[in-house]
Amino acid sequence: MKENSDPSDDSRISALLREARQAPELPPRFQQNVWQRVEDAQAPAKSASWLENLADLILRPRFALAAAAVILLAGVCAGASQGRQVARHEAQMNYLASVAPTAVH
Amino acid sequence: MNRPLLILVGALTLGAAIFTGSYVTARHATVACCTKPADDLDWLRAEFHLNEAEMARVRELHEGYRPKCAEMCAKIAAKKSELDSVLGGSTNFTAGAQTKLNELAVLRAQCQAQMLRHFVAVSQAMPPDQGRRYLAKMKRLTLGSRESMEPSMSDEAGHEQHH
Repeated sequence: MKENSDPSDDSRISALLREARQAPELPPRFQQNVWQRVEDAQAPAKSASWLENLADLILRPRFALAAAAVILLAGVCAGASQGRQVARHEAQMNYLASVAPTAVH
Repeated sequence: MNRPLLILVGALTLGAAIFTGSYVTARHATVACCTKPADDLDWLRAEFHLNEAEMARVRELHEGYRPKCAEMCAKIAAKKSELDSVLGGSTNFTAGAQTKLNELAVLRAQCQAQMLRHFVAVSQAMPPDQGRRYLAKMKRLTLGSRESMEPSMSDEAGHEQHH
């Protein structure tokens, strides 16, 4: 068995191996894309839009409960005010019908 | 649709439903609670801030006026039916129809005069400023509809003549 091979044989073998194992072709603008991704990864996270902020606010239980209570109260006040006006008008019509039926009908 | 927009639309819909529900319930409850059809004079007490003595006097006037008003209404209804029967059969406007129309107008004028006298009497049973307000309001409510109709009709007649 030969222990010390010829160095020229090694270099020939290496050259043959390099030829046999060809590197695949890189996609176009490969290097530019790699750098772009590196920059994107290093950049600080984008701030959320106003819509996302609003949605986050709405989903907070305390805010949602407070808003629901305010809306409920506004509805009750508006309804009661309108109801008082309707009742007052009906009472006025009752009186008018009793003293001036020809004016009402 | 993206998630934040969906949340916003959902929240607005829920808010509108809460407002509508509470508004309708409160309105219905207030009307049911505050309307008292049993007493015709309830509106006078609330609107003109009358005390018990003033209310008693107004009630007395009201009770005295009601039968006269009903009698006048019955006379007007009878006269209207007479006019209808005169007008009903013929295609001409007869002298009889004119007479019935005049009689109806006289009855209506008498009814209005009686009504205005009652309003004056009621206004005098109230504190002076409330009485003036009552009289002005009742004139507007009972005579106002005809007064507002007549100028518009005379305008229309004027337009007809110009064309």
